Amino acid sequence: MSVVGHDRVLADSAKGTAFQRLVSYRTRRLLAPYLYLAPTLALLLVLMLFPMAVVLYYATLDNVIMNRSPVFVGLANFKAIFLDETFRISIGNTLYFTTMSVVFHLGLGLGFALLLDSRRINPIVRAVFRVIYILPWLFTAVIIAIVWRLLLDPSGVVNAVLVTLGITDTNIEWFSSSDTAIHALTFVNIWAGYPLFMVSLLAGLQGVPDSLYEAASIDGANEFQKLRYITIPHLMPIIVSIALLDFIWTMQVFPLVWLTTGGGPIHATEMISTYTYKLAFTRYEFSLASASAVVMLLFSLVGAFFYLRYQKVRD
Amino acid sequence: MPGTRRQRSGRRWDLPTVLTYLALLVGAIFAGFPVLWMLVSSVKSNTEIFASPPTLLPETFTIEAYTHIFGDAEKMRFFFNSYLVAGAVTLLTLLVAILGGYTFSRHSFRFKKPLSLFIISTQTVPPITLLIPYFGIVVAFGLYDTYLALILTYMVFTLPYAILMMTGYFNTLPRELDEAVLMDGGSSFTALWRVIVPVSIPGIVATGVYTFLLAWNEFLFALTLTKSMDMRTVPIGIQLLMGQHAYEWNEMMAMSVLGSLPILVLYLCVQRYFLSGMTAGSLKD
Amino acid sequence: MIVKSSIARSPTRSAASGLLASAAVALSLACSNAHAATTIEFVQWWAPELPEGSFREIMDEFEAQNPDIEVELVSGPYSAIRDQIVVGAATGTLSDVVGLDGAWVNDLARQGAIASLDELMNTNDFGREQVADIIQVDGSSYMFPVASFVYPMFVNLDMVEQAGIEALPTNRTEFIEAARALTDASSNRYGWVLPLSLQSPNGIQNDVMSWVWASGDSMMADGKPDLTNDDVVETLKFIQTMYDEGLISPGSFAKKEQDKVEEFVNGRVGMMVSTLAHINMIRERNPDLNFTITDFPSKDGYEGPKGLPYASWGIGVSESSEHKEEAWKLVSYLMSAEVNSRLVSIANAFPGNTQATPDFVVSDELFGKGFEIFKAGYLANEFTGLPVAEELMRLLDVEIQKMLEGDQTAEEAAANAQAKWQEKF
Repeated sequence: MSVVGHDRVLADSAKGTAFQRLVSYRTRRLLAPYLYLAPTLALLLVLMLFPMAVVLYYATLDNVIMNRSPVFVGLANFKAIFLDETFRISIGNTLYFTTMSVVFHLGLGLGFALLLDSRRINPIVRAVFRVIYILPWLFTAVIIAIVWRLLLDPSGVVNAVLVTLGITDTNIEWFSSSDTAIHALTFVNIWAGYPLFMVSLLAGLQGVPDSLYEAASIDGANEFQKLRYITIPHLMPIIVSIALLDFIWTMQVFPLVWLTTGGGPIHATEMISTYTYKLAFTRYEFSLASASAVVMLLFSLVGAFFYLRYQKVRD
Repeated sequence: MPGTRRQRSGRRWDLPTVLTYLALLVGAIFAGFPVLWMLVSSVKSNTEIFASPPTLLPETFTIEAYTHIFGDAEKMRFFFNSYLVAGAVTLLTLLVAILGGYTFSRHSFRFKKPLSLFIISTQTVPPITLLIPYFGIVVAFGLYDTYLALILTYMVFTLPYAILMMTGYFNTLPRELDEAVLMDGGSSFTALWRVIVPVSIPGIVATGVYTFLLAWNEFLFALTLTKSMDMRTVPIGIQLLMGQHAYEWNEMMAMSVLGSLPILVLYLCVQRYFLSGMTAGSLKD
Repeated sequence: MIVKSSIARSPTRSAASGLLASAAVALSLACSNAHAATTIEFVQWWAPELPEGSFREIMDEFEAQNPDIEVELVSGPYSAIRDQIVVGAATGTLSDVVGLDGAWVNDLARQGAIASLDELMNTNDFGREQVADIIQVDGSSYMFPVASFVYPMFVNLDMVEQAGIEALPTNRTEFIEAARALTDASSNRYGWVLPLSLQSPNGIQNDVMSWVWASGDSMMADGKPDLTNDDVVETLKFIQTMYDEGLISPGSFAKKEQDKVEEFVNGRVGMMVSTLAHINMIRERNPDLNFTITDFPSKDGYEGPKGLPYASWGIGVSESSEHKEEAWKLVSYLMSAEVNSRLVSIANAFPGNTQATPDFVVSDELFGKGFEIFKAGYLANEFTGLPVAEELMRLLDVEIQKMLEGDQTAEEAAANAQAKWQEKF
């Protein structure tokens, strides 16, 4: 959908720079988007195209790095990892972890953004809470893992509080028990990641015109209706963009999982990312790891595909 | 809650307001308690950090963790490096992403979908598998152990996100804004910088904050692409405190706290940009 | 440097002085070329763990003795060093001298990352007998242990006294009884602590297999896995018993070595297997803690020498290094008796040079005790030099976790682990 007034205005212009007269208007219009994207594409093509292609290539060899003369084996690596029970477990864990994370990131992010945007609160209070709510974002994965391991240690403060409040009478082994490990981990990831949605949605909320809300008030709409029919539709492009990114990123989350549970106990928190890491750096199976990476790429592309369909509908 | 945007002269303590404050408080405990714990741990002795029952107020209050860090030029250098790299990445990424996001939002062109897919796909390959070939390229370009390597690498990680976000934000702005400029004889480039960008400041700031944090918190590539101590960054500094046999818990916490303070200050400064509205004349805060 | 001659007047004399001058110039040029420094890199995790600047000092002294070599230290976090070595070797950027852990040697040798040291040893007339334990893979030598950290049993004497235990346990039966007496779950005190984190599974080496080795037994047979032998199964049952009776501090499946020691420091655990390097750390963290170290309990009735688990700071040379001779000089320097003594003294470890003696064994009672235990037994770590050693530990760890959760018996755990291990050989 071209920008409407453009044609009429510039086509009329007999004046223009030498460049504009030399290169036809049509060519410029065709080239323009690519010029806008040139820096991005230059960087990504130069730095990423080769490594990504190499990973794809490695996935079709029997082993690399360890093996001086690798042999082409086609899809054998993919078959091997799908036959591995641990891999299948990791897919299940990853889907659970990712879905719950994204859903709660969105829920908490939207909730906090709405709270912070509320006109009912004092501006100073708003400023203070805006800072508090962004705190989880400021820390690197190592520290988040360490702090939460401290908090959720069987002798740690969370258990102490739960026992004092009478919610439970024994110390729960949050990260050491197969029953609770993945939920504890998901909770930590939700804590660490909601600010992404919150900050983006807060910014988006600023763009919703007041006039719409006022008109809705006049029509007698209540708060929830305004939320559902005005706010959320307006925020949809942002929500969809971030949800896609969060989905892709969360699927790959590695340091947080690795440093808290290492994929355990047994395989309770095994994710595709920890599985891939172990393949590469403790089993030295770099080709299998590449195959696993390609599987992740395909999963992510599914999400990307839905995003692009959504964009097309908007266009 | 939306719908009550006009500023009130006095606050009414009705039920929704009370509930709002209550929700804010619960949210703050959820968000802030672990950070509080981190802060408290940074002034405890290493032993007390593992004491049971855990103590909220340190019994062995000590600032040894902080003095260790401030007294060590090597460690202070980590902070400098992290800020330099993160700052450069943020500025450059925002510039490039504004351009890219604008064209995805406003123009239609033949390779739009494939390029969009390509840009997103660079995010989909797990970094751990990319590491060896990517590092090979960096070495081939002679960028091993340089700031440029880190800056370019982080741009590669943040650009897809930033472009996606900018596209999303720009998509929420009606085309009439662009058209107003075009009717007056401007180009779409002018439309972008004169109208779209000023109105998108909240989105740009939000994207910038995340870009900064991503570059700031990254560990794996920072470790691989640098080798000399004066090029290392804060996440590496923190992990260097995780010894083979024992960790320096309070120092790790202190380093994290110190690292986040300037970002916090920065955030406090840019916070108000989250409030600039699209339509002039609407009174917000 | 031009030699100015004021003598030359006659032709022969001027010719002679001319020759002298050129000879002097040529000589000085040759000398300055010899002083052009070769820079070698040393990747390791030791410098951050030693007292501030002490490792650099040792490097400086090496540089003083070898004026044409400069050493650049590349320090990284222990948890990430192995990965960095693999990546470095794969991209041809690996440092010349490489700090190694015994568990990595087999795989790094297979990758072609580290060079065989045999030729360097032969060319330089290096006496092999001075090294405590040369790590070999397929007959080629790859790593020297520079410093060894042995893992005896630490005991909290206050808790022992409170529990009314008369003598420190010397065998497994006594150990379990002591653990029973020490455990009081209601006050959060336990007899033993077992770190079984899957992230860094060296608990399998230090806290599990050590029981097998302390009784002179083995988990291998003829270089192949032999986990289903009685000794290993008995050990697993022993641990299962303690776990079922609740004698082990909770949270084992996510616990690491660094967490285990903090519990001991806080007086919540009566006995723990740990590295001698922790002695000073414990003293620093909790000066009031009254503790000692003791011999590893063996199985009942065993009187022979005990295998002592250990982890070492090993050293090797990169295969792709262009300065192997210079790298070797640094290696042999660090292995020389005097330097080795100094290094292990500040690291609180035992020397890799059989002639060296760290000073702390004379000055410190606990370390002296440790040294006696070390001398009376033998260094036992069967994981050193095994292929994918860390993965082997992890595979066994998973089976043990299943066993402790009650999903399988000790025999099944051993059999499953055996099957998985055999695939790797």
